[in-house]
Amino acid sequence: MTAGKTFIEISNLSKRFGGLTAVDDVDFEVREGEVLGLIGPNGAGKSTTFNLICGYYPANTGSIRLDGKEIIGQPPHKIAALGIMRTFQHNMPFEGMSVTENVMVGAHTTLHGGLIPVLLGTGRARSEERALRKKADELIDFVGLSEERDTPVTSLSFGQGRLLETARALAGEPRLILFDEPAAGLTPSECVRLSEIIRGIADRGIAVLLIEHDMHFLMSLAERVVVLNFGSKIADALPQDIRNNPAVIQAYLGDAAVIGADTENGSGADA
Amino acid sequence: MGAAIRWGGAALIMCVVPFLLPLYEMDVYRKMLFWVALAISYNFLFGIAGQMALSHFAFAGIGAYTVVILMTQAGVPLLLAIPLALGLAGILAFIVSFAATRLEGFYLALATLAFAQLFIVILDEGGALTGGTGGLTSYKLPLVFGFEIQGPWLAIAMALVLLLTLAFLLRIDRSWYGRACRAIRDNGEAAAAMGVDVKRTKIMAFTLTSVMAAGAGMVYAFFDNTVNPPVFGLENAFMLLFMVIIGGSGSHLGAIVGAVLLRLLQDMLEPFVGQFHVMGLGILMVVVILVQPKGLVGIWDDLVGRKRAGRRKAKP
Repeated sequence: MTAGKTFIEISNLSKRFGGLTAVDDVDFEVREGEVLGLIGPNGAGKSTTFNLICGYYPANTGSIRLDGKEIIGQPPHKIAALGIMRTFQHNMPFEGMSVTENVMVGAHTTLHGGLIPVLLGTGRARSEERALRKKADELIDFVGLSEERDTPVTSLSFGQGRLLETARALAGEPRLILFDEPAAGLTPSECVRLSEIIRGIADRGIAVLLIEHDMHFLMSLAERVVVLNFGSKIADALPQDIRNNPAVIQAYLGDAAVIGADTENGSGADA
Repeated sequence: MGAAIRWGGAALIMCVVPFLLPLYEMDVYRKMLFWVALAISYNFLFGIAGQMALSHFAFAGIGAYTVVILMTQAGVPLLLAIPLALGLAGILAFIVSFAATRLEGFYLALATLAFAQLFIVILDEGGALTGGTGGLTSYKLPLVFGFEIQGPWLAIAMALVLLLTLAFLLRIDRSWYGRACRAIRDNGEAAAAMGVDVKRTKIMAFTLTSVMAAGAGMVYAFFDNTVNPPVFGLENAFMLLFMVIIGGSGSHLGAIVGAVLLRLLQDMLEPFVGQFHVMGLGILMVVVILVQPKGLVGIWDDLVGRKRAGRRKAKP
């Protein structure tokens, strides 16, 4: 993959909850068309980093820049409008709506009509609605849910729910898409399918930030991996170099593991 | 074109019916239209936008009282009193709706209940302006081109308000706005992540539907030539909630069915069992919720679905 220009740039980002520093002076960037993996043991600050990017709470220090423009302080719906969409660790579909309507909600920020044309039933409002429905159908085909178009959202399988969230996030025409442990709870064949879809998303030039515990899934997808531990970044390197990085091994397996680990190949990390 | 014929046909039937009915039945009919108009806008607020508000009937009262006070005490002509009353209801709803953006579920219900109670207190204590506990009575009916709007003509006015409300609601429900409302109802956090401005969407839904309630209340004010506090009290606020839940919350058809059914039930039971008719409604409510939380419309869908499934099995 030829990574494009930097889309999002995070620098000196910190977040404290009371006495706990959940994210501590973290910096990294994601480029257009790149899949960046974000890993670390439980409690390392991955989800907090996600939530800071999405504007769920303000950072204590640091900056998050999109195309060079600061976004810290913007509420979540404005950040979505800037082109950052996400999926959730636990599926969060709109249960009272059809599969197609769920995806159409994802396109909310791409609509420009306002409420007055809707009330007047103008031709433009109607053609926008038709175009939106068509786009939603195309995305449903793209993620492979064509068969489930009329299925109630509540009867989708967990894996299908994940695909629905992916289509819904894509409908917003994101420039950066955040996946929070997308492979968790999927069957092996669903993992393969989702992996292909994420690859396809990056190929469209969309930046992808991926939190994942399934190393097999992550390593085959990510072009670069950032490792967090106790809120701090301990590595930012190519996947093959991450495997042998002593700091990463220590973070995951404890001190004892480092003694036996091959430290020679670790030099590529965090350089 | 087909839609124009359907709507025109519905309007024609609804406007001819009151002239065919005897006086008492005509009155039952136009009050039913009032309840249906309130139930469909309340269904949007409660069933689609997911706001458990109990102030809807109070807003009908605000529309009714305001238009009567403006016309009979301030001498404002009808065509000016209508937008002024709607405007006042809109401003009040806009203010109350800020509570709606901060509160959810039970707490929103309590806050809006407090507002509805406050409205009744103001009516009771309003002196000559509101007529106190006795309300305002025997005021002059509005004139349009020198012609007094009364009897079946008020039924026509209510039918038009109802159809306008329904057309308005159907349009917004089938648009990005209706989807945004239902997305917030189902999962506010996910809706925000999709770029939906939760606060703004909630404020709009509350304000729009409350103004619709005020519109229906304005016509109602001239039915019996009286507006008084008990009419706009809590009993009716809960009746509205029962109608939407029994019919099937979230469904426009459900709200219509629920309103018609409960009105008919009340009118038919009351002569025989008096105040005990409320018990009948309570039992109906419990039974419907136990059988199908989606109300009568949900029960109907189940029956039709089962029949279809049966047919599918029959021919393999």
